Amino acid sequence: MSQLTQQEPQAESADAGPMVRCEGVRKSFGTVEVLKGIDLEVQRGEVVCMIGPSGSGKSTMLRCINHLERVDAGRVWVDGEIVGYEQQGNKLYELADKEICRRRTQVGMVFQHFNLFPHKTVLENLVEAPRLALGESKAVASERALGLLDQVGLADKRAAYPRHLSGGQQQRVAIARALCMQPKLMLFDEPTSALDPELVGDVLAVMKDLAANGMTMVVVTHEMGFARDVANWVAFFDGGQIVERGTPEQVLGDPSHDRTKAFLSAVR
Amino acid sequence: MPSLDIATRETHAPVNELTVVAKRHPGRWLAALVVLLVAAALVRSVMQNPRFQWDVVNLYLRDFSIGKGLWLTIWLTAVSMAISVVLGVLIAVMRLSANPVLRAGAFAYVWFFRGTPLLVQLLFWYNVAALYPVISFGLPGVHLNANHLITPLTAAILGLGLNQGAYQSEIVRAGIISVDHGQGEAAAALGLTRGQTMRRIVLPQAMRVIVPPTGNETISMLKNTSLVSVLAVPDLLYSAQIIYNRTFQPIPLLLIACIWYLVVTTVLTVGQYYVERRFARGNHVLPSTPWQRMRTLLKTHTPMAKGSAR
Repeated sequence: MSQLTQQEPQAESADAGPMVRCEGVRKSFGTVEVLKGIDLEVQRGEVVCMIGPSGSGKSTMLRCINHLERVDAGRVWVDGEIVGYEQQGNKLYELADKEICRRRTQVGMVFQHFNLFPHKTVLENLVEAPRLALGESKAVASERALGLLDQVGLADKRAAYPRHLSGGQQQRVAIARALCMQPKLMLFDEPTSALDPELVGDVLAVMKDLAANGMTMVVVTHEMGFARDVANWVAFFDGGQIVERGTPEQVLGDPSHDRTKAFLSAVR
Repeated sequence: MPSLDIATRETHAPVNELTVVAKRHPGRWLAALVVLLVAAALVRSVMQNPRFQWDVVNLYLRDFSIGKGLWLTIWLTAVSMAISVVLGVLIAVMRLSANPVLRAGAFAYVWFFRGTPLLVQLLFWYNVAALYPVISFGLPGVHLNANHLITPLTAAILGLGLNQGAYQSEIVRAGIISVDHGQGEAAAALGLTRGQTMRRIVLPQAMRVIVPPTGNETISMLKNTSLVSVLAVPDLLYSAQIIYNRTFQPIPLLLIACIWYLVVTTVLTVGQYYVERRFARGNHVLPSTPWQRMRTLLKTHTPMAKGSAR
């Protein structure tokens, strides 16, 4: 595995091995240990939902997958490359910023609060990163961006500023913005938690579409319905550990762990 | 019962025959009157007091040396502000850096240049040749005579620019901090480098917070440049001083300086208004400019518009 760090990003490292692999991931903020040794594997084309109470570490785990958080111990691989580090012998060397950025271009992320760039129009939000990070021409990036906006049902909003869109529309733009980088993996951090209930459906529909088209997705969510319908499997987080995992039917329908039962009965 | 009668008439009055009568504000009229009277008295005394010597003001207002001084004042303001903005961004970024040495260096800079009077700093730069007669920048072969290099004008630029840089860095820092943390994260998650994130995402948004106080500082700088008259730099104030030292008419010539400072300040204020609008894009619905408001007002109050509304 250690040799794979030298590979080309798009090289069909593929087929073989999982898209995401986490091994004994630990992370502390100050004296609080928020991840206590997480092991996780997401296969290509899988949709995984991470559920659990606030502060259970699920969002932190997600952020470790694109190195927004640095792990204290353990390793995370995305498509065969160790995230944020290069292993030589038994040492992990943190990568140069440039290399970290290059790898992040392959992983899309959607945030709870959308985090669209408010000073740029919808279309500018989409083409900014492809132009700066991938060095694409405006024409090429715009063409793909317009296609994606059409896909999320917002082609007519290309010239609008984010401020003038509803939360649901903003989140769909954010998804399109992430997809515009043509990522091989998408991370969702509570994408519907900040939305009015009636706007949640539109965003979930876009995500279901994406899943149906074979995108590998890791989703932190409180939408049990989405987890049941779309997820290949579900991980229940509590106190920095995955206490239960399995198919949605198992975890959500017939949980075996007391903590899971308590959480699910409170959520329903 | 008559009261019932009135009540029925009131409720049954046709809606479109009712007239709205606004509340009267006699207190406001009175206050406005007082202010107008005071203003009139002030204008009258200024106009009638011959010791203001308005004829002399008129004589020198467009004098060539005053014009040259005015130009130098504007030039000095622009150059010093340009230096301070570049320096301000640099020091603000240093101040927010992860490197403790850079942070401490930025802090020390602000501490020193904000902690000593501008006038003293100007005099120091003017006399820097006493400390370093030869400037070599530590490079072999470089051998510059400080007395030739640091002219009064360079001393003025250095003093004003470096001092303002300290203030400007605090303004820029406040602007950068005001940008939501999620913006940097979103940019990072998209694979933008830290430099790209700062230039393309954070700073443009910080501008909304940076521009208003910077406009303020520019106006402040315009007047602070008058301090360079102590270095005998012929700015607007010093040019006026040169004339009144010859003619012994300080009051009218100081009035001339004031008039020109006010004119430039007015221009800068209008400029600031439009620059602020430019950087408020996407943030909220922009209110119309006074010019646009005036046109709307004229439009809605022409008889034709009124007639068509009926």
